[in-house]
Amino acid sequence: MDLTTLAIAATPSFIASAVEFVEATTIVLAVGITRGWRAPLAGSALAALTLAVIVGTLGVALVTVVPEHLLLVLVGTLLLLFGLRWLRKAVLRFAGIVALHDEEEIYRKEVAELRAQGLRRTQWDWVGMIVAYKAVLLEGIEVAFIVIAFGAKGIGAMNAAIVGAIAAGIIVIALAAALRHPLTAVPENWMKFGVGAMLSSFGVFWFGEGVGAHWPGDAASIPLILGAYLVASWLAVRLLNGLLPQGARVEARNV
Amino acid sequence: MFSVLRAIWDNTYGLLVDDGQLAVGAIAALAITWLIAASSSEALRENAGWVLLVLVLALVIANLYRAGHNARRRTG
Repeated sequence: MDLTTLAIAATPSFIASAVEFVEATTIVLAVGITRGWRAPLAGSALAALTLAVIVGTLGVALVTVVPEHLLLVLVGTLLLLFGLRWLRKAVLRFAGIVALHDEEEIYRKEVAELRAQGLRRTQWDWVGMIVAYKAVLLEGIEVAFIVIAFGAKGIGAMNAAIVGAIAAGIIVIALAAALRHPLTAVPENWMKFGVGAMLSSFGVFWFGEGVGAHWPGDAASIPLILGAYLVASWLAVRLLNGLLPQGARVEARNV
Repeated sequence: MFSVLRAIWDNTYGLLVDDGQLAVGAIAALAITWLIAASSSEALRENAGWVLLVLVLALVIANLYRAGHNARRRTG
């Protein structure tokens, strides 16, 4: 696989993983700045190790043991469920029904909570380590899921997905380390919307392939499927804007 | 131990399901597609993917419409 092909194949995984890395980095930054860096870095490293084991065992087992058509059905199902969840939330955010994800607000809350818990300097900071471990592990599981899903088609796809996720991790962590501030400028809802539409498109495509459907032009159908999702989402945002009074905002739990 | 397993389950479930009705609807659409592909003619089986796409798009729009209605009811 040449570099250009690899870059194209790695892009979906890169964008999807970047969103998750931004969320994890916000929490780790909050812990590091309020309570010192040793414990959160140790927690993050431990979580990364846990994730490597999960991807190494589950990913390899999935690709090598499960028959191909069953794997496509399984991965297609998971991708569709995962993608629709993101797509729905992003559309609701665009329509103003759900508040936009605010990294700055999350960061401030996390810092306030961590400061309230205090820290005895002589002890190892278990709270900081556990908070960082949990954040990196939970967001990382989503990254692992994304890598397994995009890479399920074979070794080449798996390599591209891993490269995309690692590149996203390096860029997000480097930016956060340089800025020492959450990456609030990242257009998170647009990214989540794009990724949700992309994952849902891959989900439909692979499930279809798994049950023996024929897609004209094979993978060339994916942009068509993606286009259909984008049109449907645009229609849904217009529909929702028409339904709600101007300026109405409702919390996520209410819908 | 139970609480750890419970947390893992909750997180895995949360990873895939945000709205129960949407998830159930998506699984129903997948099941219908599988049935069409398994029990129909060659022509229908070959087009099962498009059937799935139409079902899922209809599901997404219907689900969001319901969410909008619920939101409107709550905002009065």
